[in-house]
Amino acid sequence: MIRAAFIIALVLMAGCSGGQDRPNFNLEVYNAVRNAAQPKAAAVERPPLTRAVLDTLEGSFTEAVLERFDQLAYLFVEAERRDTSGRRIIVWRSEDNVSVTLRNGVLVSTHALGGDLIGAGIDQTGIGPAVGQHVRVMRFVDGGNRQVTMQFQCEVTDRGSTTITIIERAHPTRHVVEDCSGDVGQIRNEYWIDTRAGLAWQSRQWAGPEVGYIRFRRLTHNQ
Amino acid sequence: MFATGLSPAAAEEPGFSRIPPPSLNFYGSVGLIDMPSAEMTYDGNVATTASYFRNHLRTTLTFQATPWLSASFRYNGTSNLQGLTALGFVSGTLWDRNFDVRVRLLKEGRYMPGITVGLQDLAGTGRESAEYIVATKTFATPLPGRPGKSGTLKVSAGLGWGRLGSSGSIGSPFGARPAPIVGIGSGGTFSTDQWFRGPVAPFGGIEWTPNERWGLKLEYSSDAYAEDVRLGAFERNSSLNFGVEYQATERTRLGAYYLYGSTLGVTAQIQLGPNHPVTPMRVTAPLTIQPRPSRVSNPAAWSTEWTTNRDVPLQLRDILDPLLRQDGLVLETLDVAANTAELRYRNLRYRSRINATGRAARAMASIMPASVEQFRLIEVSGGMALSAVVVNRSDLERLEFNRDPATAIEARLGYQDAPPLTENAVYGEGLYPGYSWSLAPYVSQSYFDPEVPFRFDVGLELRGSYQPAPGWVIAGAIRQRIWGNIADGQRSGSALPPVRTGAVDYAQYGTTMPNLFAAYQWRPALDFYGRVTVGYLEPMFGGVSAELLWKPVNSRLGLGVEANWARQRDFDQRFGFQNYDVLTGHASAYYEFDNGFIGQVDVGRYLAGDVGATFTLDREFDNGWLVGGFFTLTDVSASDFGEGSFDKGIRIRIPVSWFLGTPSRQAAGTTIRPITRDGGARLSVPGRLYPQIRAAHRRALSAQKARFWN
Repeated sequence: MIRAAFIIALVLMAGCSGGQDRPNFNLEVYNAVRNAAQPKAAAVERPPLTRAVLDTLEGSFTEAVLERFDQLAYLFVEAERRDTSGRRIIVWRSEDNVSVTLRNGVLVSTHALGGDLIGAGIDQTGIGPAVGQHVRVMRFVDGGNRQVTMQFQCEVTDRGSTTITIIERAHPTRHVVEDCSGDVGQIRNEYWIDTRAGLAWQSRQWAGPEVGYIRFRRLTHNQ
Repeated sequence: MFATGLSPAAAEEPGFSRIPPPSLNFYGSVGLIDMPSAEMTYDGNVATTASYFRNHLRTTLTFQATPWLSASFRYNGTSNLQGLTALGFVSGTLWDRNFDVRVRLLKEGRYMPGITVGLQDLAGTGRESAEYIVATKTFATPLPGRPGKSGTLKVSAGLGWGRLGSSGSIGSPFGARPAPIVGIGSGGTFSTDQWFRGPVAPFGGIEWTPNERWGLKLEYSSDAYAEDVRLGAFERNSSLNFGVEYQATERTRLGAYYLYGSTLGVTAQIQLGPNHPVTPMRVTAPLTIQPRPSRVSNPAAWSTEWTTNRDVPLQLRDILDPLLRQDGLVLETLDVAANTAELRYRNLRYRSRINATGRAARAMASIMPASVEQFRLIEVSGGMALSAVVVNRSDLERLEFNRDPATAIEARLGYQDAPPLTENAVYGEGLYPGYSWSLAPYVSQSYFDPEVPFRFDVGLELRGSYQPAPGWVIAGAIRQRIWGNIADGQRSGSALPPVRTGAVDYAQYGTTMPNLFAAYQWRPALDFYGRVTVGYLEPMFGGVSAELLWKPVNSRLGLGVEANWARQRDFDQRFGFQNYDVLTGHASAYYEFDNGFIGQVDVGRYLAGDVGATFTLDREFDNGWLVGGFFTLTDVSASDFGEGSFDKGIRIRIPVSWFLGTPSRQAAGTTIRPITRDGGARLSVPGRLYPQIRAAHRRALSAQKARFWN
């Protein structure tokens, strides 16, 4: 009887640890199973975003949507700088520690999405890709921890001016489309570029095989 | 607003290499239904197959070790047998273990078929033994009513010997097949004298796959199932087999068949695909490198005056440690000078050590005074430095958003051995004395008992460890079994001291102490690693173990020696010992080949006092998956060894991160021996050196460069 009580007590305590060492295998798997078995927290209802709310915010914010997973996140600026060619690099980060890096509006790396983009090379003169033809090279980390390089031939065309509205605010933009194809397949990136403000208010860009397309909308722009 | 209608079709979106649909046969090899084909699966694939038809259950693990060589391990049971076999009188189910090897002789070309030679059950009792040579040619077939689309037709034809030459034989070109030698000590030896001997018979068939989902198979079998028919377990009315297969998921293919004019059969073919994780790994976004202010515009920031303040190293340590801990690293020591800084850290999280290096570099770059240009990053395991990666801070600043940042930074990293710690180094706070403990469930397994093929125990394990000073550890574990059936397993006799065959006796106790030991590991000299361990080393043995390893950071070769005095523990696994003790030890050579292959040879004296060598070949994938095999030859004769003739087995290791998608050092691993005997048995010592250090040396670090920034 005492023995049974002792065992039950042990079972109830299982999954505990302390100290400075890394968790051992049994513990890690047990905790993972236990976490998976727990009911997920219900998705937080987001209040509708209004310009009045956005106007109260300091700093720049971008909305990102992972199309494939129908996930939305608001990103803040973690770091910003210019590269040696004067292009602006912005590292955008989410509350849950996902980050994406855009160079003059073009996605060049991702973190914590899975199958992440390590680096991208494309021709840029201003914001977005340069109109004309260019070679796009993207490098990813695959499931085997190996670097996978994908190369595309791209044609970038300016589809003319269009005015887009993002949360009650209209922005005059040029719609630029980057059509790319390579041995691995085809992608199409789109950018809505405001050359006067020097940014892409909106874009839809391919982020890799595991992630698919991300839609970006710049919500606030504080110089 | 978003014109999603403009997006290209999802099917054209690029993907990482996918797991191609398998088409495995009842033996788990690439093939038709009961017959093989000449195809190989893709390099590195691991597939498991379960197949069942009347009285026959076969489970197979197949590893495509190279593009042209695959190896399989099979466990099969034939039930409802009644009568005399080559192995003696059988009544009921006969369980058997097989190893197969297949080698592709010719890759399929535009006109030439692929040609493969295979050895099935090449070292077994002979019941399943067969040899074959088979050719396969693939054709595209038009699909009626679907212009532009085509199906695939594979036509295979071959010649079989042994089992595969038992029906429809056309003669014995290489002479008669000698009867297998059976009895005690049977199995395990390569039956080379039988290979390709005896009657040969043709076999063949076709597979048609109209699309990625479905497949139809038709074959002519040359297997007579003679013994199974004779012993009442099978009925064979026809040589023709038919089947249909369906690709249920990317990993799973299911098949249903009508076999030998008498019975239905089913298969489940499951591809594991080591390079295709169940969940893609997501590593928390790192700190972005903050470039230093320019020296011209802000010379004050580059002042080295701070070096005169003795408190600065301590302050830097106090800022750095929390940053490292966010990323699963722990600051062990920090040594800063005007232009260089050396960080030694523990890596609690990343199996890819270069991932830890990258995180450490980012943390350093975010807090070090501007004048510090060079970082020396040293991972420490159990107080022992594993390697030093030297990185220039200006390279970090320059290359983070490069077009090819991983290749660019890797070319600039310096890989060195870690120098001895200097007196200027400050230790992380509260590390020594240190302790840790955990309480978690455990599972232990036992394979291939003749009555119950898979036995296991489950229970709870309490582990604790205490680190009084760098390099020192005192650790132990207590287990409480809650349920299990290993204790009900069959005992087996042995002509040798029962160093491993007493497993069932050891399993009789519910509350046990698997180990309790003290160990010290250190760096005796450059490129050398040392360890001494004393105590209850493993459930069956206690004693003293000493090891010395030479392994330069940039070398493929490692050399080691280990000497142990071990005494057999009491069955209850508490503090007592039995009367048997032995001096055992090995000289070992380790070599890292290309493509992740790691070879190991250990020469020495084993637990039962036998002398010989163990040969191991592993293939480790860059994400931590490992598949390997080993065998041991000693001066114990096959008959003294008993069933299996010599010790051999396979091992497989699957990293936890492959399932969970979060970075982790842990992996699930198992070693499968067809049978565990006393010959060629090695002491199991906790904390052996080579496995601790290899992943932190150059080849592994640079192969996984994709993880430096990500």
